[in-house]
Amino acid sequence: MGKKCLDYISELNDYLDGEIDPGLCAEIEEHIGKCENCRIMVDSLKQTVKLCREGKEIELPKQLEDKLNSMLKSRWDKKFGKNN
Amino acid sequence: MNEKELVAKAQAGDFEAFSQLIDANKSKIYALGLKMTGNQHDAEDIVSETLVKAIDNIDKFRGESAFGTWLYTIALNQARALFAKQKQVDLKPIEEYLPTKKAEDLHSSSGFKIFDWEDPHKRLESAELKRIINEAIGQLPAKYREVFILRYLEELSIKEIAKLIHESEASTKSRVLRAKLAVRDYLSGRFEEQYGQKMS
Repeated sequence: MGKKCLDYISELNDYLDGEIDPGLCAEIEEHIGKCENCRIMVDSLKQTVKLCREGKEIELPKQLEDKLNSMLKSRWDKKFGKNN
Repeated sequence: MNEKELVAKAQAGDFEAFSQLIDANKSKIYALGLKMTGNQHDAEDIVSETLVKAIDNIDKFRGESAFGTWLYTIALNQARALFAKQKQVDLKPIEEYLPTKKAEDLHSSSGFKIFDWEDPHKRLESAELKRIINEAIGQLPAKYREVFILRYLEELSIKEIAKLIHESEASTKSRVLRAKLAVRDYLSGRFEEQYGQKMS
């Protein structure tokens, strides 16, 4: 094959995102099957994304929402010339 | 009422229509600000300033993108303006994230095995894990944090990110990979410490 681990690392984004041509994908999978360290790299990179995605839903705090509504209404009225 | 009709009403001065347009996006912008800056105060500034800019420029919105995308672009520019004030640091080259001196070929490094995290959920309390993950994202230099968040938390495509940050797709892709390797590297170090299995 002639390729070394480093040659595969630069292809990992596409591989992990499933956006790689099937030939190269098969080649990477064959390499991972034989190279324990590359297997760990791939597994941990997959987990990196999975872990970072956990808990990404964040709600606007109620207090901030109230503050925003009042501030935006005042800005709006100023822009559109309403004073009531 | 569809988005186009809401925009037309908002541009004519209808605050209720504007409120409906921003309602679905306020939390999203706040979350983006929080992830980007790592602190509540800056996140609040980003959401406030984004929505104020949206009011000031509502008449300039031409409907060339979805309203949410327009807001999102304003928010991203707000976050970038904050980052611009910070000292810019760079990450290591990609090959240096391979944890061995013989970086070009891990496979042939006799007996060397990199740290295997397995499942951190089984080893760490969820609050501790969350803290470490936030640290891992937060330690990224701004230009890497930005693309990492956009790609993996906001799930934008490389093409969309490249357009937002005014870089080529190739350069964006490389930046995303370096960011991901840096987050993995940080997590790996922290998990190794936490698991109590320090390896030389």
